[in-house]
Amino acid sequence: MRSRRLTPLRGAVVLVVALVAQIAFVADLRIAGAVGDLMLVVTVAAALTGGPDRGAAYGFFAGLIFDLVLDSPFGLSALTYAVIGYGVGLVCSVLFRPTGAWPLAVAAVASLVATAFYTGVGHLIGVPYPWADVPAIAVAVALWNAALVLPAMAVLRWVHGPSQQPDRVEVLLR
Amino acid sequence: MAISPPTGSRTRFAVLVLASVTLLTVGLRDAPVVREVREGASVVIGPVESAVDTVTAPVRNAWHGVTDYEDLQRENDELRSQIEAADAEGVQASDAEQQLAELSAALDLPWAGNVKTATARVVSGPRSNFSHAIEIDKGTDDGIAVDMPVVAGAGLVGRVSQATGSSSTVELLTDPEFRVGVRLSTTGDLGTARGQGRDDPLSVDSAISPSAKVAKGTGIVTSGVDRSAYPPGIPVGTVASSRQGSGGLALDLDVDPVVDVDQLSYLTVMLWTDGG
Repeated sequence: MRSRRLTPLRGAVVLVVALVAQIAFVADLRIAGAVGDLMLVVTVAAALTGGPDRGAAYGFFAGLIFDLVLDSPFGLSALTYAVIGYGVGLVCSVLFRPTGAWPLAVAAVASLVATAFYTGVGHLIGVPYPWADVPAIAVAVALWNAALVLPAMAVLRWVHGPSQQPDRVEVLLR
Repeated sequence: MAISPPTGSRTRFAVLVLASVTLLTVGLRDAPVVREVREGASVVIGPVESAVDTVTAPVRNAWHGVTDYEDLQRENDELRSQIEAADAEGVQASDAEQQLAELSAALDLPWAGNVKTATARVVSGPRSNFSHAIEIDKGTDDGIAVDMPVVAGAGLVGRVSQATGSSSTVELLTDPEFRVGVRLSTTGDLGTARGQGRDDPLSVDSAISPSAKVAKGTGIVTSGVDRSAYPPGIPVGTVASSRQGSGGLALDLDVDPVVDVDQLSYLTVMLWTDGG
C-alpha cells in the first residue's frame, strides 16, 4: 500500500516532466506547421481516470505552469485546460464510460474543443489568434493526444492508485 | 471517491475558473509580478531545457530529415539563384549605404547601420501552437534589454520581450500582438505593421494613403519616427498584395516578411533602445 500523502508529489512530478518534454522535445516536432500539447494530454488522461474534479485540478495546474514558460496571455492556458478537464470528466462519467479505444476519440475531440476555446477567449481579450490556423493545430494536437492518452492514463493510475472514478449519481448530486 | 472536502465539485471548478480569470486580468495589465515570475521560471527551466534538448537532438533531427527534406531541396535551388542576384545588388547598395552613413552621421540621425549589435544562437523555437516567441542564448550580461530590436541577416525578426542574465525571449513579428511602425521605401508613406500569426503575411492597415500606387514587391522598412521602438531603415518585408481598406480611407497591404522566422539559427540583437 502506497502512502496517500505522496500522491500530490507524484502528480506534480508528472506535470513537471510533461512540461519539460513539451518545451524541449515535442514543441520541435511539427506536423503541418503545428505541434502536440502534452499538458492537454495529461489533463484529458486525468479527467478520464478521475472524473471532472481531478480533470479540472490537473488542467488548472498544467495550464498554470505552461503559462509560466509561454509568452501568450498569462492564465489563458490554465483557464482552457481547467474547463476542458472538467468537461471531459463530466461527459465521461455521466454520459458514457469510455472503454477500449474510446479514450482516443475523446482525446481527439477534446483537442479540437480546446484549440477553438483558446482561440475564442484570445479574441475576447484582444489577442486575435487567426481562426484559419485552428484546423491545422487541432489536427496535430488531436494526433498527439490520441497517440499518448492511453500511456498517460496508465501514468495517472500510477499516481492515484487503481481507478476510482466517481459514480454517475455521485457526480450529478455534488 | 476517497475523503473529499465538504465543498462540491462544481464549487471547486468555479474557484479554479475564477482563479484563471483573475490571473488573465492581472497578466493583461502587464503587472510586473507576472513578468518577474516568468523570468524566474525561465532561469529555472532554461538549464533543464538545454540538457533535454541535447539528449533528444538525434530524434528531432531525424524527424526534420523526414518531414522537411523536399522543402529543403527546393529552397536550396531558390537560394542559389537569389545569392547571385543579391551579390550584384550588394555592390550598388554598399555605395549608397556609405553615402547614407556619412549623411546620417553629419546630421546626427539614428540609423540602423550604425547600431552596436550582439549575435546570439536560437536555443528553442515557439513552445506551443499559440506562442510566437523563441529563446536565445544571450541576455542582460551581453547588454541585451527588453524592447531591443532583433534582426537576422538584415531583416527584422522581432523584439526582445524578456531578458535574464544569460538568455532572452524574442517576440516574433508574426505574433498577433506585434506592432511596428513602417515606411514604404518608394513613396515614404507611413503605416503600422502587425503580425497575423505563423505562416501568414504581416498586415499594414493604417495611414497608407488610398491614392498611393503600391506595386507588388515594394520594400517596407521600419519608420523610426520619434519615440519608435526601432531605429529607422530595418528591412521588414515586401508587399505581397494591396487592396482598398474598409471605407476607402486607407490602403490595406499584405507584407511578406524578409526573414523566414521558422528557419532561424543565429540572430542579431541591436543594442538600441528608444532614444539611441
